Amino acid sequence: MECAFGITGKDYVLLCSDMAAGRSIIRMKSDENKIKALGPHLAMAYGGEPGDTNNFAEYVERNMRLYHIRNHYPLLPASASAWIRRTLAESIRSRNPYAVNLLLAGYDTTTSKPHLYWIDYLGTKAVVPYAAHGMGVYVSLSTMDKWWFNDMNKREGVEVLKKCIDEVQKRITVHFNFNCILIDKDGIHNINIDSQDPLAELESESKAASGDIVVDAPNSPLDVGVTA
Amino acid sequence: MVSKAVETPNAGFDFSNYARNEFFGQRLQGIPKATSTGTTIVGVIFGGGDSGEEPGVCLGADTRATGGPIVADKNCEKIHYLTPQIRCCGAGTAADTEFVTNLISSNLELHALSQGRPARVVTAMTMLKQYLFRYQGHVGAHLVLGGVDVTGPQLFTVHAHGSTDKLPYVTMGSGSLAAMAVFESSFKENMKREEAIALVSRAIRSGIFNDLGSGSNVDVAVITKNGTENLRNYEMPNERGLKSRNYKFRRGTTAWTKESIRSLIVSEEIKSTSGAGKDQGGVEVVPVPTGAGAGGEEGMEIDS
Amino acid sequence: MENNGGSVVAMIGKDCVAIASDLRLGNQAVGIASNFDKVFPVNDKLYYGLPGLATDVYTLKEHLRFRVNMYRMKEEREITPKTFTHLVSSTLYEKRFGPFFIEPVVAGLPTPTELDPHPKPFISTMDTIGCVTTPKDFAVAGTAADKLYGVAEGLWEPDLEPEDLFETVSQTLLNAVDRDALSGWGAVVHIITHDKVITRTLRARMD
Repeated sequence: MECAFGITGKDYVLLCSDMAAGRSIIRMKSDENKIKALGPHLAMAYGGEPGDTNNFAEYVERNMRLYHIRNHYPLLPASASAWIRRTLAESIRSRNPYAVNLLLAGYDTTTSKPHLYWIDYLGTKAVVPYAAHGMGVYVSLSTMDKWWFNDMNKREGVEVLKKCIDEVQKRITVHFNFNCILIDKDGIHNINIDSQDPLAELESESKAASGDIVVDAPNSPLDVGVTA
Repeated sequence: MVSKAVETPNAGFDFSNYARNEFFGQRLQGIPKATSTGTTIVGVIFGGGDSGEEPGVCLGADTRATGGPIVADKNCEKIHYLTPQIRCCGAGTAADTEFVTNLISSNLELHALSQGRPARVVTAMTMLKQYLFRYQGHVGAHLVLGGVDVTGPQLFTVHAHGSTDKLPYVTMGSGSLAAMAVFESSFKENMKREEAIALVSRAIRSGIFNDLGSGSNVDVAVITKNGTENLRNYEMPNERGLKSRNYKFRRGTTAWTKESIRSLIVSEEIKSTSGAGKDQGGVEVVPVPTGAGAGGEEGMEIDS
Repeated sequence: MENNGGSVVAMIGKDCVAIASDLRLGNQAVGIASNFDKVFPVNDKLYYGLPGLATDVYTLKEHLRFRVNMYRMKEEREITPKTFTHLVSSTLYEKRFGPFFIEPVVAGLPTPTELDPHPKPFISTMDTIGCVTTPKDFAVAGTAADKLYGVAEGLWEPDLEPEDLFETVSQTLLNAVDRDALSGWGAVVHIITHDKVITRTLRARMD
């Protein structure tokens, strides 16, 4: 992974990842989406060994989907984090382990609390208010240490995220494009971090679509012919 | 399929972490060191001949356990029980000596039960060497094995690779040279029991004071056909001096931000709402009808 | 070990035991979380700490929870500190040739029984492959173990009352951890007595 951040706020969680893909010094792609929606209120930003990353992300995605179909409700963030951690901990003991680091972000609809998990390829898991993976950690963690505070509203959260991105673009020699999402009680929303006021777009969109612009989230299980 | 990795197999070692540890083991600053007993352990045969004493075996050990340069335990026990008449001193990787002697002790007990007689020392020695040989020295147990059986006093050393020696006086561990120097200069055949104990503890002491891996106290075990005498901490030449003052902190020294108390006292309040002989407000008490026949007084009249 | 950092210390007092850990989770030199508790309860009066590689902390914790629950169901009683120590020890030794990078510390008060009406407070530690030591004073483990040995050796004394033990164990941990770059970022202390367990989060240096 090159660079990913996650920030929790009062009733939402932000996830942001760079969009570069390539090998060593060559960039093959600058619009690769490295954030995957795993459910209506769950998403992860992943990175690591190319190949392993997409494979593992899809493996997780399909298992989360399977759980949703079987049980008619999605796995909650805490349980999903435990499952992913265990999968990685078992993988590291196998012949060819997945070298994938990830940030798991979710919104627990039962308690109305945002969750953010820092997970690495060894199966290390940390429950954190804000986190980063990749080479961005060296500049963004200190930025978040300074600006993050408890119960931030969405505008304040996005401000911190912007500060992190600015810092990365100022201090890291490689240029990145960033891809951001926000998860709140209504689901997963895309955020255009490059715009002047990313939340204004979100708010106007949500007014137009009456608050359900779910990004890439799997269909509800009832759509695949399973009835409760 | 993968979930097997964290479940327990039936027996033997589990290598499920091995590939992983190889994989990133080099990346870390070396894998953590296991507790090893940098050790002095010894044994001598005594008695018999014209000493006029019961022949027997005297084993000795120091009590220091180390983890790298750190003293992990200042008073550990290195003389392990195998059977009532057989003991085994361990040097090398502490966990290995502990688990190997426990395993062989169990197997000797089963052996004694199935054969209907106490196991011999050679049997213990054979079991140990075959087990250790199978693991090609990876189970790092270096042992001094001594005991008394129907064939008399027996003393062996067993190396981690599975080789054994049978000698009248033996030493092992990092302090083996210091201890052997004592034996070579002072060992006699057919020593008296007290002489043997004195010689063994002198050999251990020379390990304690001249070898960095050995230290603290002297443990001795004396085995004759009459039984085993365990002389735990037979000598304590390195007692810690008394502290002249105490270093108690005044209560309230440490600042804390949060406290939660889990009370383990289960208390319950009982409020009776009904019951025999209790006046119940608003409830009409209807007495159980009683009769004169058999069981009538208890309200269980049979002939009604 | 040095990958994530972290330390645990346990001490014996008068009819009480204490077990404490720092709260740091790091990735080499980078601090990731300051809420990573390494001490877990087994039952009312038995706690254990797992300093070492963080992925193994979770894996071993889950594994032990499974095995303690199996014990509880089969035996219909709570596991004693001594038995639990042997359970952990054999779990670690089973992986002799591919160990968990964990040095567990166990601390508990055995419940009085008919055979042993006045059991002594119990602590123990193991190395990564399950070699048990059962000290009569204190047990330490983790990246600050060297420092903890030194401080605890100087500060510990016998028969400390729960509140005095709290001060001694807290000061031992706090001062040792301040000399270790990989431990710190907060600390939590558990004092186990016969009628209650006091858990306190300490004010600590955050550097």
